[in-house]
Amino acid sequence: MDTTSSLHLAQMAFPDAVPAITLAHYLFVSAAMFTMGLVGFLTRRNMIIMFLCTELMFQGAGLALIAFGRHHLGADGQTFVIFVLCVAAAEAAMALALVVLLFRHKETLSAQAWKELNG
Amino acid sequence: MDTIISPIALYLICVLGAVGIAAALPRRNNAASIAGGLVLASAIGLAVLILGLGATKSGQPLPNYFFYPFAILALGASARMITHPRPVYSALYFILTIIASCGMYLLLSAEFMAFALVIIYAGAILITYLFVIMLATQAPSSAAEAFIDETDAVAREPVLASIIGFVLLAILTTAMFRGVSTLPAPTNQELAQDSVLLNLPTKVDRILDRAGILTESERVVRNADGTAALDIAARTITIENTDLNTIRVLGPDQWPDTLNAGNLDRLGYNLMHDHPMTIEIAGIILLMAMLGATVLARKHIELEDDLKAAQARKLGESMDQSMEAGNA
Repeated sequence: MDTTSSLHLAQMAFPDAVPAITLAHYLFVSAAMFTMGLVGFLTRRNMIIMFLCTELMFQGAGLALIAFGRHHLGADGQTFVIFVLCVAAAEAAMALALVVLLFRHKETLSAQAWKELNG
Repeated sequence: MDTIISPIALYLICVLGAVGIAAALPRRNNAASIAGGLVLASAIGLAVLILGLGATKSGQPLPNYFFYPFAILALGASARMITHPRPVYSALYFILTIIASCGMYLLLSAEFMAFALVIIYAGAILITYLFVIMLATQAPSSAAEAFIDETDAVAREPVLASIIGFVLLAILTTAMFRGVSTLPAPTNQELAQDSVLLNLPTKVDRILDRAGILTESERVVRNADGTAALDIAARTITIENTDLNTIRVLGPDQWPDTLNAGNLDRLGYNLMHDHPMTIEIAGIILLMAMLGATVLARKHIELEDDLKAAQARKLGESMDQSMEAGNA
């Protein structure tokens, strides 16, 4: 088979250090992306950047879903990512409409300008 | 099963990342931002190094060196995205993150989702974001070229937020790394992928027809439950002649190269067969989002009373005219 011969080639070129990617590698990257999205959402004060950070969290979740799908050799993970994408698109439309609306009221994108909403 | 990363190294990475992010987040006269960026880069580098070293121990022959550049690119770009004071650059760095994670999707053999992500996320959603950023940001006057809005220049509680975020990361990863296993080899995956062909007998007919194997009145035998009579593991195909009522079996050497199920076949079958209701719900969500966005972002135009009256009169006249035209 073609694939096995190329695998042997790769092993010959790198005799003992053939890194196998585990599920944990992808989960680590996805968790780190999610964390950065969370930190960005908490710290940034520009409303557009805050929503962009939620998209970063969606990305982290999507990567985990695809990695789990590959791990179980099923297509369910990818199907879920389609729906995550769909929700992200809906969220982007709503969030940006909201941002434009809020910007028209106070002429600033700062989330701090809407402090009175925190009750 | 061994853990991939020892907990000590993991916590070290988390602490380094938290310090780096907290230092690199934008604030006025930030002298520590470059040092923070370096600490963050070293945290990412250390994480990737330890992940790579941990992978060599598991010893399964699945070389995937491409994972590391994509991981570095994704993490570095997302770190730069949340620390860059200018919104447009943040959005561009997010596009870089998406493209890097698309690379990882390709490595996970989710080809369709990788390209769909480039088109939908980088091509549509992010461009909308960029559009709104440019729409809602006041252009800096030429006198203050380097002027950055207060909102973007000063982060809110960077230290506290970094601590919360990276404690979360530490907990998540410690919980996840107990007993991890390597991803199944590509050969397994091909077998699992091809099993979707069992459910698509018409597609099998079409492929065999194109490969010149079937004659006019032949087709693949359908089992009682409607699946095609294929043996995926043994690579045999059972074909019936509908006119003569004869059956022949093709061996593994006659299995055509084109008879395999790709990522798209599998994904499409899974989407349409296992989640039909979810598609409807997704459609409703998108419709509601579209309506909601239109309602939210429309502009209220305040008219004076006499203007309103004039408008109403004009509308009434034009309606009368159209009615007369209709009667004539």
